[in-house]
Amino acid sequence: MMQQIKIVWLKELKDAVRDKRSVMAAMSYAFFGPLLMAAAFYMLISQLTSESDVEIDLKGTEAAPAFTQFLAERGIVQRDKPWPAGREPIVLEIDPEWADKIARAEPVAVTLTADFSAQKQRADIRRVEAAVNAYSSQLGSMRLLMRGLDPRLMQPLDLVKQDTATKGSRAVLLMGSVLVFMLLSVFFSGMNVAIDISAGERERNSLELLLSQPLTAQQLVWGKALAASCFAMFGGVLSVILIPLIFKFLPLQNIGISVDIATAHVFLIMLLLLPLALLATALQLFVSFRAKSFKEAQTYISFLLMVPMLAVFGVEFARIKTPILYYLPLTGQHQALLDIIKGENLQYAAMGISAVATLALSGLLLALIGRMLRSEKVVFGL
Amino acid sequence: MIEVKELRKSFGDVHALDGLTFSCPAGQITGLLGPNGAGKTTCLRTIYGLLQADTGAALIDGIDAQQDPLAARKKIGIFPDKFGLYERLTAREQVMYFARLHGMDSTRAAAATQQVLERLDMVAIADRRATGFSQGQRMKVALAQAIVHQPKHLILDEPSRGLDVMSTRILRDLLRELRSQGTSILFSSHVMQEVAALCDQVVVIAKGKVAAQGTPQELCELTGESALEEAFVKIIGTDEGIAA
Repeated sequence: MMQQIKIVWLKELKDAVRDKRSVMAAMSYAFFGPLLMAAAFYMLISQLTSESDVEIDLKGTEAAPAFTQFLAERGIVQRDKPWPAGREPIVLEIDPEWADKIARAEPVAVTLTADFSAQKQRADIRRVEAAVNAYSSQLGSMRLLMRGLDPRLMQPLDLVKQDTATKGSRAVLLMGSVLVFMLLSVFFSGMNVAIDISAGERERNSLELLLSQPLTAQQLVWGKALAASCFAMFGGVLSVILIPLIFKFLPLQNIGISVDIATAHVFLIMLLLLPLALLATALQLFVSFRAKSFKEAQTYISFLLMVPMLAVFGVEFARIKTPILYYLPLTGQHQALLDIIKGENLQYAAMGISAVATLALSGLLLALIGRMLRSEKVVFGL
Repeated sequence: MIEVKELRKSFGDVHALDGLTFSCPAGQITGLLGPNGAGKTTCLRTIYGLLQADTGAALIDGIDAQQDPLAARKKIGIFPDKFGLYERLTAREQVMYFARLHGMDSTRAAAATQQVLERLDMVAIADRRATGFSQGQRMKVALAQAIVHQPKHLILDEPSRGLDVMSTRILRDLLRELRSQGTSILFSSHVMQEVAALCDQVVVIAKGKVAAQGTPQELCELTGESALEEAFVKIIGTDEGIAA
């Protein structure tokens, strides 16, 4: 029984390893995916952290050189270039009677004109406001001091902000998408092999002879599924190793995020992906054994790839929070991975149960495929 | 010994097999002769259990392929209607794969593979991948796959198509040699010369039934013709689907 599975498994593995297309497919997803992601994050980080100058229209600066100087120190400077199309100008107008009013200690009007609903300009507007407020309170303090009063009189309360967000929990936002990548890697990497050993076998007319050999359809299916799972797992392992490695080179600390997956956790993730790799293969074989050609199978499988994506993103966006998710195939692995990244307490029992559920579902699918291959309708496409 | 008893098989309204009965004794070559669509391939597929007969049975040494397909398949070598090679494997690896599937351990499988490759004069191409193989070379690989485990029964579906003269001779010699070793051989064909040259017994089938059965001589005497082709035409009553 096992011997036959092993023979099929080894043969399919040898066949697949020689197929450059399959190997490239397994590698490219694991390699280029994280690289692409890293590039995107790199852009995001540099955008978030760059303290470039805010260029706005300043009017009446000649009346208040000290204020203008102050603004320039805070990176708010006169704009030389015209405003790009579709953007409302931000204008800061200083009262021409600045010097007189300051001398008399009267409030001076400083008018900020801008589209306050514009998302893109919100950060710029806030910086201008903060700078104006800072100058105002600085001036206020000086006036109090000159009158012999403690400026702290004006600050009866002191709001102390303590950010309890750990670097880990902030990372969840970012790593959520990376996780999806790891999960999907097992779906992508074995895909080509899965098609080749099912629909491909039919296309090159070798299915009939193979089914006429002294082995059960069940043994055949398991041998093939294990071979494709090896490829799926290969891609999974590669992405689990590469993603933390690539993220080490990103200046994530600049945005207050640390992505640090302990080595033990890396192995745990691989272990979690193992049953998922079998499930991915079983699903792919299930559809592509029905297809008559490689092309047809590819079409079906591209639809099939939506399943894990929908499951993972759906849970994420719908904010479904139920403990059942921990025990189901696919979502169970997803939740476990989230916990690992968040650094929360790991629910090993739930992981075990979802692994068993995943394996059971795969076994069921493979049994169905075996039954399908005993049906002459499917085999000969009658 | 392959026995086919009262096989019936329909695909929808089409009666592919309609009470087919014949047997192939050990140490004899039986030719299954019939026009296109007569049910030759359906009959062979039913014998190795790939198709389920509606009624009737196909027995291989008394084992019903419908009841115990694995045991039946262990006893037969198959050269199917459609055979595809694994393009990325060498000829030796393909043949070895089938030897292993028939339960040989790797040393025995390697020895049996070497033997069959030598027998079929394939040593020169044995370690080449199948991608560039000619039709004849592909046929030889398929043939080697069918006989590597030295089955007592050999079923071939139109084995000589696409073979050049030299390969056809190798095939004929091989079949005769296997016959002398006591193998029962059943092959389908519509090439008259080949059937006349090789077969101890000819089963002519038309419309899923046995139309006539006997040695090539007997068939000729039966119809009063001197050539098997003419006899065949008379038996099936039409000259459709014959390749001389």
